[in-house]
Amino acid sequence: MTRTRPPFLDGLLASLPIVLGYFPIAFSFGVAATRADFTALEAFALSLIIYAGASQFLALALLSSGAPVLVAAFTLVAMNLRHVLYGPALMREAGADAGRRHAWVWAWSLTDEVFGQALGALARGQRFSEAYMFGLGFGAYAAWVAGTLAGALAGGGALEGWPALNAGLGFMLPALFLALLLSILSRPQLPVIAVAGLATVVGTLGLSPTSGILLGMLAGAVAGLVRR
Amino acid sequence: MSWELLTVALIAGAANWAFRALPILLHADRLAAGGRLGRFLAATGPAAIATLFVASILPSLTPDLPRLLPVVTGTLAVLGVWFARRSVVLATLAGAAAHGLTVWLFG
Repeated sequence: MTRTRPPFLDGLLASLPIVLGYFPIAFSFGVAATRADFTALEAFALSLIIYAGASQFLALALLSSGAPVLVAAFTLVAMNLRHVLYGPALMREAGADAGRRHAWVWAWSLTDEVFGQALGALARGQRFSEAYMFGLGFGAYAAWVAGTLAGALAGGGALEGWPALNAGLGFMLPALFLALLLSILSRPQLPVIAVAGLATVVGTLGLSPTSGILLGMLAGAVAGLVRR
Repeated sequence: MSWELLTVALIAGAANWAFRALPILLHADRLAAGGRLGRFLAATGPAAIATLFVASILPSLTPDLPRLLPVVTGTLAVLGVWFARRSVVLATLAGAAAHGLTVWLFG
């Protein structure tokens, strides 16, 4: 792929749909935190230190209900266990000579969406670059932290006067995942995708949304083992 | 700031960093190359993206047609722009715009 921009800037531009998706979600997290009697500084600290959307909402519920500290912490740890697969899956697609010297920094931003966007770029033939990962990750992380702070400072009801904007922004992440799915779609991957989707529905409806995500990913990855 | 909140955040944050960075730093992908674990990892990406799409769209699926309509128009916009332009960014923005516009027109 011919590059016309520095990789960092390329990554930053590629983070745009994630930024637009993250900001309103982080904003609503900031609002929810202040509604649960946390200060703006505490909401900001949760986003800065944990940086994992769904588990931060769970953290609010656990902390405000008085759950023991270690129980709350390990519930959040278990919820994010799926991230352990993202790095190896990404580096496998990046190739044997892909740089990873600075992974201890950029891998911090390897969330679901950043992983999906990076993998999609590789599937479209882009060469792996740590600078690209820095740009992609920085955009997403900055949007998450800034959105949280804005929401915590604005307080409740800030987006309620703009229902169409609120709805459009709320659809940003499903739209991003669908676009990413289309970008990696290939005939050999169809059984993996079908099994993962089906297992997610069964797990979500039968158990819980978190179980659905874990079950979908594991079932899809196992389907990759048996299809050849 | 309460120490409970800070402790929970630091434990969860440290684990998140370890989950995201250590497998890369420890070359877990090279250990798995070629074998069954390699195939497992190769399928993890598509499986994760499919899972996250289904998990994110599932709460919006409802038999209530007026509430379903923005999801349908948003999805069609993503599909249409993707097949026309092959751009993830444009397809995502078009999907969100179509969704918001439908809510504005019919919501």
